[in-house]
Amino acid sequence: MPQRSGRKGRSLLGTLALLVTLIGLYWGLIHAPADAFQGDVQRIMYLHIPSILTAYLSIFLVFVGSCLYLWKREKRDDILAYSAAEIGVLFIALTIVEGSIWGRPTWGVWWTWDARLTLTAVFLLIFLGYLMLRSLIEDESRAATAAAVLGIVGFLDIPLIHMSVYWWRTLHQPPSILRPDKAPWENIPWPLLTPLLINIVAFALLYFYLLSLRFRLGELQEEIKARKLARSSAS
Amino acid sequence: MDAWGYVMLAYGVVWGAILLYLLSLKRRLRRAESDLALLQAEEETGANEEK
Repeated sequence: MPQRSGRKGRSLLGTLALLVTLIGLYWGLIHAPADAFQGDVQRIMYLHIPSILTAYLSIFLVFVGSCLYLWKREKRDDILAYSAAEIGVLFIALTIVEGSIWGRPTWGVWWTWDARLTLTAVFLLIFLGYLMLRSLIEDESRAATAAAVLGIVGFLDIPLIHMSVYWWRTLHQPPSILRPDKAPWENIPWPLLTPLLINIVAFALLYFYLLSLRFRLGELQEEIKARKLARSSAS
Repeated sequence: MDAWGYVMLAYGVVWGAILLYLLSLKRRLRRAESDLALLQAEEETGANEEK
């Protein structure tokens, strides 16, 4: 019964994510006006900011899951951290690709070794390393412990990435939403802020849908392993 | 490439990658569910034979 209700909840979440995503796409690509300075290319912002915020959220959950695993040694916390890391890597990589596509027409280059871009690339490498670590160490408990430590260290890159535009002279613009000195509506006009907020919600819903599927997969894989182990020790 | 070309490239890459990931996740989930069902069926058969 709980399995069936879990599946129903996931379907509902997936449907809601799809609905809000379609609204976000319509608002961002058709309804919102073009930016006065950058023109239509600024519409990439409706992907770029939601992607990095989703990546931050995902890596925050890696941090939470890793801390809980090191503290309590419960497999569920490790599954949460592992699931969030896998999806986090996807959203960090997408952020870099979108930024590169946006950078070409606005900065004239696909890539530059700017502080924020470099730190984001390091962020991606840390969590690619996290996923590699899990598959390279055979002893699962050791792999989970090493990955949890790396997950906690990797999370510390987020404040560095966020503050890099203030601490170093960079080509990347200051934050649009999470500014320490201004509220988002003081920084972006409402006709551009509204589609951005809708897309942030759409990405968050999509993220939790993907996470629920990936977490369920982790649970099933654990159950299969446990049953196989019980069978081999019985025979 | 004009502005809309870059916008379409970005949206295509992002939604293409998310869709591919979602499909691979669903495929892995289906495979795990069928593996588990198979294991459960084998365990039940084994238990019945023991009786």
